[in-house]
Amino acid sequence: MADLFPPLATAQVDAKTKVDEKVDYSNLPCPVPYDEVHREAYMSLKAENFEGFRFDFSKGLNQKFSLSHSVMMGPTEVPSQSPDTTIKIPVAHYEFGANYFDPKLMLVGRVMTDGRLNARLKADLSDKLILKANAQLTGEPHMSHSVFNFDYMGKDYRAQLQLGNNALVGATYIQSVTPRLSLGGEVFWAGVPRKSGLGYAARYETDQMVASAQVASTGNVVMNYVQKISEKVSLATDFVYNYFSRDVVASVGYDYILRQSRIRGKVDSNGVTSALLEERLSMGLNFLLSAEIDHKKKDYKFGFGLTVG
Amino acid sequence: MAAKRFGGAGKSGGGDSNILAKISNSEIVSQGRRVAGDAVGVSKKLLRSTGKAAWIAGTTFLILVVPLIIEMDREAQLNEIDLQQASLLGAPAQRGF
Repeated sequence: MADLFPPLATAQVDAKTKVDEKVDYSNLPCPVPYDEVHREAYMSLKAENFEGFRFDFSKGLNQKFSLSHSVMMGPTEVPSQSPDTTIKIPVAHYEFGANYFDPKLMLVGRVMTDGRLNARLKADLSDKLILKANAQLTGEPHMSHSVFNFDYMGKDYRAQLQLGNNALVGATYIQSVTPRLSLGGEVFWAGVPRKSGLGYAARYETDQMVASAQVASTGNVVMNYVQKISEKVSLATDFVYNYFSRDVVASVGYDYILRQSRIRGKVDSNGVTSALLEERLSMGLNFLLSAEIDHKKKDYKFGFGLTVG
Repeated sequence: MAAKRFGGAGKSGGGDSNILAKISNSEIVSQGRRVAGDAVGVSKKLLRSTGKAAWIAGTTFLILVVPLIIEMDREAQLNEIDLQQASLLGAPAQRGF
């Protein structure tokens, strides 16, 4: 229980020394990538809850190369006509994957029993330019898509160009304005539904907290705040508002990182409460428990899994 | 009610039912009956909504808080063992990595 109380004394000393330093505007730190502006909040609020049984086994053949096998059995939701009833169909599949990790090149590939192939590539073309590609191929016609990203990391800014099939073009830019505040914007144009969009994001972080906000022309406004209470505990809250469809969702969550386990829990304003527990049973063996209760729709999802390696 | 029956036994049979019917049809009795019915309805609804709230609070507590308490207990036990080992051996405890 002592972890719940923040170390107040040391925080005050750190704040005083920081205020005394003058802000050096020519030496600002590099901001986080535009996609990861909400990174800390989504670590506790968007945990991967699952339903059913999950088993992941990964084995390293080499220092750089590893294979992974994964089995998933459980019900998956099928979109139904009426919004009240949810149709669940039990599904089981096996996924085989291969990973190659190099300091400059990362390749990940996954194949599933229903014929879907997922491939990811991340290559450091130079010191500051990174190429990322993501492709998903399926047997059904016109359902495969791929996306290429070119990331350029400058001294205190990052720029990204995104090209996808079906004529998708996007660009994002994020810049550090002060040592703690970074602002960014994005623009994209999708060829198939002939839509274009704009978005802005802002992120303010200190040692103890991170606050970020994002507005998009699709009507989504996202604001979140994460407070790090101690080394092991952090609390997060999130507010999503869509000004076209007038949907509002607020959620509060916690993230406890203990020595042998990690617990993430969250409560929603849609009446959904969920929790994910990962416990380390022994070296390389992790036990996962996931629970999600939707009080409004009376939908209960529980899952357990094992991760080896 | 017993006094009324004794009093009614003294009178004729027809007058007895007349008085009882007049009493049971009077304003006060029917109002009292309506209020009693409302009270039963309200208490049933209160019981049901308390039951629903208790269920929601109970299951949410079970999902969010119980695993947390269990894990924090284990962490405290681990810390205690480390502390004991440190005081016993006079050195920081070894992590089993």
